Amino acid sequence: MTKPTLDDEAFKAELAGLIPHLRAFARSLCGNATAADDLAQEAMLKAWKARESYQQGTNLKAWTFTILRNLFYSEKRRSWRRQQLDPEVAEATLIANDDPSSAMDLLALRTGLTVLPEDQREALILVGAGGLSYEETAEICGCAVGTIKSRVSRARKALAEIIDKSQGGFSGDGKLRASEAFDDIMKQADELSSGSTADARN
Amino acid sequence: MDQHAGGSADDDRSRKLRQKRIGDQLRRLYDEVTEEAVPEEFLNLLEQADNTKNKQ
Repeated sequence: MTKPTLDDEAFKAELAGLIPHLRAFARSLCGNATAADDLAQEAMLKAWKARESYQQGTNLKAWTFTILRNLFYSEKRRSWRRQQLDPEVAEATLIANDDPSSAMDLLALRTGLTVLPEDQREALILVGAGGLSYEETAEICGCAVGTIKSRVSRARKALAEIIDKSQGGFSGDGKLRASEAFDDIMKQADELSSGSTADARN
Repeated sequence: MDQHAGGSADDDRSRKLRQKRIGDQLRRLYDEVTEEAVPEEFLNLLEQADNTKNKQ
């Protein structure tokens, strides 16, 4: 009990400051916003209860992300498992954006993320958006740094393919309906996820 | 696995550009969430947990 741990007030303040990141990471795992917040809350409370095992000076963000991730994978029966991209989210993505090609990219990206294997998706999110290093990500995911690097690189490649294909299908048609665009991207994404990497272009 | 023979400098540049775009948008998706106001429930739960501890 005499180890140098943060005092409770300081820990609470730091933990509270990380809530936006816990929510963002959870959202990337769950897809569904409500389920993601449930997961983030549970992770936050678990981190609070485990505060004495946190070692001061280490990265608290990585520590809480590890807790969140473990919760996510250990409770597979829970409703926060990822679901397919909600068509309403897809519509909103398209409507909220005044630059149509950027909106399509964003939609393709959202969709692409839903079909990436979980291990690739989380590695890409943590490194590419969450601001964690390869080393921290490897620790969070419990694997080697090289494994993370290769997951991130495969994820980037797969996403680029999905986005490319969606652009091929849509360029020039400004009046494309969002639902059609969505169907088409889902089709591309399905092809990509079913046929393995071997022969993505034909 | 990578079979394209000698990607030209142009290909290379456009690949990099595309990856940069994906990176930007990935951050945008993530930041959309971090920039949302934190639902009060979170802080309430944390306070509750803290208070429970004090009563023990």
